[in-house]
Amino acid sequence: MKTTKSGYRRPASLTKAPMHYCAGCGHSTAHKLLAEVLDELEISERTIGVAPVGCAVLAYFYLKCDIAEAAHGRTPAVATGIKRALPDRIVFSYQGDGDLAAIGLAETIHAANRGEQITVVFINNTVYGMTGGQMAPTTLVGQVTATSPSGRESATMGGPLRMCELLNTLDQPYYIERVALDSHAGVLATKKALRTAFQAQVEGRGYSFVEILSACPTYFHRSPLESLKFVGGEMAKQFPVRIFRKEGVALHA
Amino acid sequence: MKGAVTVESKRVLMTGNEAAAEAAIRAGCQCYFGYPITPQNELIAYMAKHMPAHGRVFIQAESELAAISMVFGASLAGARAMTSSSSPGISLKQEGISYLAGCQLPAVIINVQRGGPGLGNIDPAQGDYFQATKGGGHGDYHIIVLAPASVQEMHDMTFQAFDLADQYRIPVMILADGRVGQMMEPIRLQEGPAPIPPAKPWALTGAKGRAPQCIRSLFLEEGALEKHNLALQECYRRIAAADTKLEETHTADCEWLIAAWGTCGRIGKGAVQKARAQGIKAGLIRPLTLWPFPYERLARLGAQVKALLVVEMNCGQMLEDVRLAVNGATPVHFSGYPGGRVPTVSDVFNALTALVRQ
Amino acid sequence: MHERILIAGSGGQGIVSLGKLLAGLAAETIPHVTFFPAYGAEVRGGTSNCQVILSANEIAAPIAEIFDSILVMNQQSAERFLKALDQDGLAIINQSLCNVPAPERHLLIPATEIADRLGSIKAANLVMLGAWLAHKPLIAPTAVENAIASHFHGAAPALATINIKAFRAGLARGG
Repeated sequence: MKTTKSGYRRPASLTKAPMHYCAGCGHSTAHKLLAEVLDELEISERTIGVAPVGCAVLAYFYLKCDIAEAAHGRTPAVATGIKRALPDRIVFSYQGDGDLAAIGLAETIHAANRGEQITVVFINNTVYGMTGGQMAPTTLVGQVTATSPSGRESATMGGPLRMCELLNTLDQPYYIERVALDSHAGVLATKKALRTAFQAQVEGRGYSFVEILSACPTYFHRSPLESLKFVGGEMAKQFPVRIFRKEGVALHA
Repeated sequence: MKGAVTVESKRVLMTGNEAAAEAAIRAGCQCYFGYPITPQNELIAYMAKHMPAHGRVFIQAESELAAISMVFGASLAGARAMTSSSSPGISLKQEGISYLAGCQLPAVIINVQRGGPGLGNIDPAQGDYFQATKGGGHGDYHIIVLAPASVQEMHDMTFQAFDLADQYRIPVMILADGRVGQMMEPIRLQEGPAPIPPAKPWALTGAKGRAPQCIRSLFLEEGALEKHNLALQECYRRIAAADTKLEETHTADCEWLIAAWGTCGRIGKGAVQKARAQGIKAGLIRPLTLWPFPYERLARLGAQVKALLVVEMNCGQMLEDVRLAVNGATPVHFSGYPGGRVPTVSDVFNALTALVRQ
Repeated sequence: MHERILIAGSGGQGIVSLGKLLAGLAAETIPHVTFFPAYGAEVRGGTSNCQVILSANEIAAPIAEIFDSILVMNQQSAERFLKALDQDGLAIINQSLCNVPAPERHLLIPATEIADRLGSIKAANLVMLGAWLAHKPLIAPTAVENAIASHFHGAAPALATINIKAFRAGLARGG
């Protein structure tokens, strides 16, 4: 592990491969925080991740742990199969909004409802990045995307799905938190949330879910800095940043 | 086991669905994931009761898509895993089957076929031959397809499927029908300790003491997918060479050949016996593996006989493979039952004698 | 020997249980046995039927269209299935619940009434089995009685007695 003059350290669980993510994209930060948590909990050698279909499909190039790639949306079902076959391993899924809240909504809800002992990392950036900026289930009302060129209209396209709130209606989940990668404080909060979620799994407590509000400057059609403001502003207004479920108890019903 | 009556000499009366479930348990299936659908419900119920009792994993999934994806997860983690369904549910599983094939993951999938297309009906049918043998999902792949005609074969083939799947790292499908699934026959159970699966160094079990591994079917690097697909084809050639299986009845001197699979193969055998009793030199070929298909043996038999009669509970699916094998050397006739009706021995015998009289 | 048997009646008359009992006992001595219950839509609406085939040789067609024996326990089944009887076949008809014109060679037996007198109408299926076995001695009566005794063992010994009596009554009436 090398330390630069500025104190930056590459986590051992992060490969040296240059990431393909766009400038200002939240995935690279989220990957690094995830790698740090795997390092700190000393679990990378017994962790199996499941990558989604979406921008993070290539996560296995960057994270230094065993990783499988699931069919689009089936990510929590694949994670379920792995965890049930190997209950003493740490299993996580890493999913975007299309994978988790559109095509994989059933798998997401049912894995949570069964209380699978997995950790779900949900990157919500309100758009489909990999396919070219189409509308996602979490796209804000009025937000312009390739498939909502006049802005999302709730009367015909529905409104943004609030996943933490939805999952918080279930009995089984142990830990649910929404954080935002919009600032230095947001980065620290995200790391803490991830650590809590993985710690819960290490202790065999149950299902843990971390939603990370994240920037996609390319399809926000904004600069990276403006994108961070959008995440902390309009997005956070729609998707309140808070702990929803702690130690199996709903804090915000 | 519900409804099973133990009899002497270790014969046990079971439904085909229960016989398949019990075979999976005896073969060391560690994880079963399913979703209810008629006519295979006895199978999922049997697994729900017996898998936890053996300390194994049972989940009733939220959909067939989820069930096959759970199989995918358990298999990539190194476990012996299975799912079962019937035709409409198997259509949903095709997504996962394509990924299993692409990732070279072993799995056992049981299809207790019913009528189609769409919801069709719940009667026995053989309409999923194309889907099972020609890929089913997207991409250029095959899976091994076994066709049982009796409760004993349902048991034995399911047992054997786990070894084949592990040996070649390929999904194996048992292509049964509602008749075989619902019927009870006395069978001899597979005895002895469960087979020991081969080592699976490719499995994702955590990167302790080795470099991290990845299981994927995405190959974006230049030329990588072509190389991968050619490797799959090489595996398919090895399977075809070593594991093409068929049953022949009275083929040595036959002049009239019935080709049929599963339930129709069994009925075809009755028709052959009836024809022989009347001095007609009839024979039967019943592929036990629908993929790999016994093209070479059929080609040789095609050159020997005056005509072939293909009998299926569909509108002519294996028929196309038989015609490919025979390649125009001999007339190939067809007798099909596409609505859930199961032909009688007399039906097949009459179709055969009509050919002989021509 | 190749015996094709159809058993039909209404839900709750123990049609499928009787078929399973017969198939299970036959499997002890007869080389080839198949049992096929009607399933799905066919069993809705209160009717129930199953087929049992017993054979010295491999059974090519596990479902028959013509039967050597037909046991019918209600009117609907009698009307629907008796026409599938082989010309030399044997029909056992539950006279208590069926009113059909029956040729002499058919065996009419008030199975439900006999079972009711013995203490449980649910034992009517065993009256039918007894009557059938009197004509087609393919299974030893003691084997049937042992199977009944072990089926009801523990939970309901009184029911075992009723069912064995019902079976014996059928055997006597049939013979």
